[in-house]
Amino acid sequence: MLNLIYIRIANAGATAVAAIATLALIGFVSTNAGAADAAPLGSSSQNAAALEASQSGDAALQAGVESDPLAPFNEAMFTFNLKLDDYVLHPAASGYAKIAPVPVREAVGRFFDNVLVIPRFANNLLQLRVPEAGGEVARFGINTTVGVLGFFDPAKNWFGLQEHDDDFGLTIRYYNVPTGPYLVLPFFGPSTIGDAVGLAADGAMDPLAYFVPWWISLSRGAGQRIGQAINYRSLHLNMFEEADRYAVDLYGAVQDAYSQTRANRVKALKSKE
Amino acid sequence: MIRKFVNSALIGVVLTAAVVAAAARTARADQDPMGVVKGLVDPALQILRDNQSPLNDRQEKLRQLVRGAVDFAAISRSALGPHWRDLSDQQHQDFIQVFTDFIEDSYLSRIQDYSGQQVEFVKAATPDPGYAQVFTNILQEGKQPIQINYLLKQNSPSWKIYDITVDNISIIANYRNQFNRVINNKGFDTLMTDLRNKQQALAAQLGTPHPHD
Repeated sequence: MLNLIYIRIANAGATAVAAIATLALIGFVSTNAGAADAAPLGSSSQNAAALEASQSGDAALQAGVESDPLAPFNEAMFTFNLKLDDYVLHPAASGYAKIAPVPVREAVGRFFDNVLVIPRFANNLLQLRVPEAGGEVARFGINTTVGVLGFFDPAKNWFGLQEHDDDFGLTIRYYNVPTGPYLVLPFFGPSTIGDAVGLAADGAMDPLAYFVPWWISLSRGAGQRIGQAINYRSLHLNMFEEADRYAVDLYGAVQDAYSQTRANRVKALKSKE
Repeated sequence: MIRKFVNSALIGVVLTAAVVAAAARTARADQDPMGVVKGLVDPALQILRDNQSPLNDRQEKLRQLVRGAVDFAAISRSALGPHWRDLSDQQHQDFIQVFTDFIEDSYLSRIQDYSGQQVEFVKAATPDPGYAQVFTNILQEGKQPIQINYLLKQNSPSWKIYDITVDNISIIANYRNQFNRVINNKGFDTLMTDLRNKQQALAAQLGTPHPHD
């Protein structure tokens, strides 16, 4: 039994490396998903602290500056991901955008989102949000059937059932476990040590893996992530141009956006208690 | 010649009247945080909707409007975080000038992207004495609203904006992290050069670069 779990986590790790996701996929996807229910009063006290610090020079001097002990590795991975995006992901997404109109691509996005119900369900449950976990099951049932395999979202549009996005990295934060230093993963982009573990744990929650040989579930998992990444990028073709126009240091901008987003998400989860 | 003089005198009078009127309005409005934000956003929307006037005029009007509501010195201090104290007064002044231009041009370069979105003023909150946050939503058809929140600090008695959050991402905290990296890795002078280059690239997109004051 324990052996089986190890194999499945190893599989998930391999899936993680095999898959192509953009450097900002996680960061930017969660930015959008978190927007709906982000916590009020965002980072006001943190900023107030930084403002005071610059005036009076007290102990809050480091407020708002991210630590990055793994910077040399992270910067290399950041560059790698940008190149990968330049040479593979962006061309693929542009080609795909030419043949598939926006409503189709949005439906495909919903499809990918629907099949990832298990980690959302499990992590809502792990954080003892039983109604939300139940809601995820209901949403999956409705959208997979009435919503034609999840291409449409009647659960939200007709039944008012909102998605409750969640992942294992958030569960770790929810229980106030430190998630370790910032980490840029190849293919996956911004993360932390804890979020990377969470990514593997969520990846291991693939129901298909219990029924088919590992290499089928592995390649399906990779295919799914590649498809999801291309689809997402096709809906945000100017993502990096836009970001780079307003950034003096793109790496620093992405790092901070990721850390603020994750902090907001977990604050929103905690404020719902 | 005389005609030219009369014309410019006339323009002078009109401008003065406009400035006085604006100042009077500001004096009333900036007594409370919500008033400051409404006093910024409502006229800004009017300028954005007015696609008859020349683009340059609209940009200049917006620039004045923003300068009245935003405390760029505080924004600059906050964005430099721990490095502010290590810099000289001259460096502070130079940085405030460049960063102010950069932020203004960032927003002004987006004027033509405006396509009739409405702004909803949700509420104002005072988390700490002397600090306030005003919550607004930009409503867009068929999509989730974008949450734009304004963070204000009281410089008795008026309130000034010192940060803006977009979907709860603090813009100034984001720049603080960028600036910290550039200063640590390459020094303050490189930051000034990089920031000026970015600002000029943005200004070039405004049609014509604006004169500095």
